[in-house]
Amino acid sequence: MYSVVTEGLTKKFNSFTAVNHLSLEIGEGEVFGLLGPNGAGKTTTLRMLACLIAPTEGSAAVAGYDIQSDPLKVRQSVGILTENPSLYERLTALENMDFFAQAYGLLDPQERSRRIRALLEFFNLWDRRNDKVATFSKGMKQKLAIVRATVHKPPILFLDEPTAGLDPESAKEIRDLMAALSQQEKSTILLCTHHLEDAEKLCRRVMIMNRGTCIIVGSPDELREKISGQPVIQIGLKQVNAKVLAAVKANPQAKEVTVNPQEVALMVTVDDARSATPELVEEVVQAKGQVLSVNVLRPSLEEAYLKLIKEENKQ
Amino acid sequence: MNRRNVWLVFKKDWLEIKRNPQVLLPIVIVPIIFAVVLPAIVVLISSTPAAAGSSQNSVEGFLPLIANLPQDIQAMLAQMEPNQVMVYIMAVYFFAPFFLIIPIMASSVMGSDSFAGEKERKTIEALLATPLTDGELLLGKSLVSFIPAMAVTFVSFFVYGAIIDVATYSMFNGMLLIPNAVWLILIFGVTPALALCSIGLTVIISARVKGFKEAQQISVVLLLPILGLLFAQVSGLLILGPVVLAALIGLLVLVDIAIFYLGMKVFQREEILSRQS
Repeated sequence: MYSVVTEGLTKKFNSFTAVNHLSLEIGEGEVFGLLGPNGAGKTTTLRMLACLIAPTEGSAAVAGYDIQSDPLKVRQSVGILTENPSLYERLTALENMDFFAQAYGLLDPQERSRRIRALLEFFNLWDRRNDKVATFSKGMKQKLAIVRATVHKPPILFLDEPTAGLDPESAKEIRDLMAALSQQEKSTILLCTHHLEDAEKLCRRVMIMNRGTCIIVGSPDELREKISGQPVIQIGLKQVNAKVLAAVKANPQAKEVTVNPQEVALMVTVDDARSATPELVEEVVQAKGQVLSVNVLRPSLEEAYLKLIKEENKQ
Repeated sequence: MNRRNVWLVFKKDWLEIKRNPQVLLPIVIVPIIFAVVLPAIVVLISSTPAAAGSSQNSVEGFLPLIANLPQDIQAMLAQMEPNQVMVYIMAVYFFAPFFLIIPIMASSVMGSDSFAGEKERKTIEALLATPLTDGELLLGKSLVSFIPAMAVTFVSFFVYGAIIDVATYSMFNGMLLIPNAVWLILIFGVTPALALCSIGLTVIISARVKGFKEAQQISVVLLLPILGLLFAQVSGLLILGPVVLAALIGLLVLVDIAIFYLGMKVFQREEILSRQS
């Protein structure tokens, strides 16, 4: 069953097309990343799915409810972290959370305060619960905004740049929470981010968008392979000689072999690193080569993303 | 529409307003001026011999107004000393339109903060993402402008009436000037209808502008008809008697209905978000 389904979702602002015929399916409990440069259409997509703005064309269903005919049901099922923390700075952290928890239908006072307390304690904000939000740092506001998004235990979360502006420790706390929500509570998370590290660590699948359209969608591994081609095995040697080079070149799995003089290593391009690595190492050893290290080099998602966006922008 | 949700929005907005001196100061200071300073002028006139001596000249300035008052009032004024006429005209008629400024000012300041202020402070997106309906948000936010505006108006009226009556009690031989029918209709009939009109217009303006100050500045335009009423009364063109006030209430109710219909139309999430600063 899919938690989010869109079909030809389009949003135009006068003559400008912000999102252009976007179709995607996000499974229950999946963490799905929406990547792309500024102005790619990520936030507009999220706003349409959260029923904040209406699509110009196409359709979408969130938690089984149509975004146009059943917006209240959609809003009840969704927790959203917007670009800005969107917190009331003159209210305390507790007053903010109490208001939003009630607005999302958490009516039982005991259950509400238990939930709020658990989340504030998770983010180390409980001691500051009676302080006005205006006195909070940017990172604390961001954490509090995440508490707001999750306070009513929504089955679906839309998070726009959740780790933006956070220190590494806080960013890790948020990634841990997202992982826990996905794995333990089976929450579906749509994550808009520039932080490819977040996408790489959390997302089962990612979609890269540019100029309102989907460029590519798949798992981070698939994207890396699709965009940057075959993996390269780097075999570090004490010394590269002709016999070792010939032995490796003779292996049918080696598609391309080059020598890296700086690293004193052979760079072997293969189709499947898992099956090729033991065979190649064995060939080197039999040819009396002294192996110092073996690494499978894959481009990071960031490298793949940058390459793809660069190619897209050239077109 | 869920009343609990309306109350929730009201409570949240009221907490914010209570902690915002930029909003609280004008809605406290202006009523203090009208409820305390205006009657102080009357007290000064009634108690200072020098001021009393110049009353004859001042009464002449109100002659166009007096000439258009009902016959029984004119007959009563004819029996009074110039000093008493001056005090009576000022306390009962001249200052009355000033009390129409209080609900307009209070409701437009609070309304601007509640609607346009949320846009300016970038809190509106999270609020609009909640399952609260447009009607619940609109009503909750309208009430947070309406209830305090009315409270301030009523308290100002009671303070004004008390000061006037205490100050003029011996001068008019025990006759209480306030309240009378005109003031009761004005305060309990006209001001609520006017406050609703002001709130409706503030909602419409706030949906179109990006910030609190912009909305408030445009809302000030609402004071122009009130100043028109003030000058019309002084010049004798229009006397705010019970009939005129009843007609004014009827007109304002029609305007309120039209404005609220329009307000509901413009209170759309996408429209509000697209004009966020």
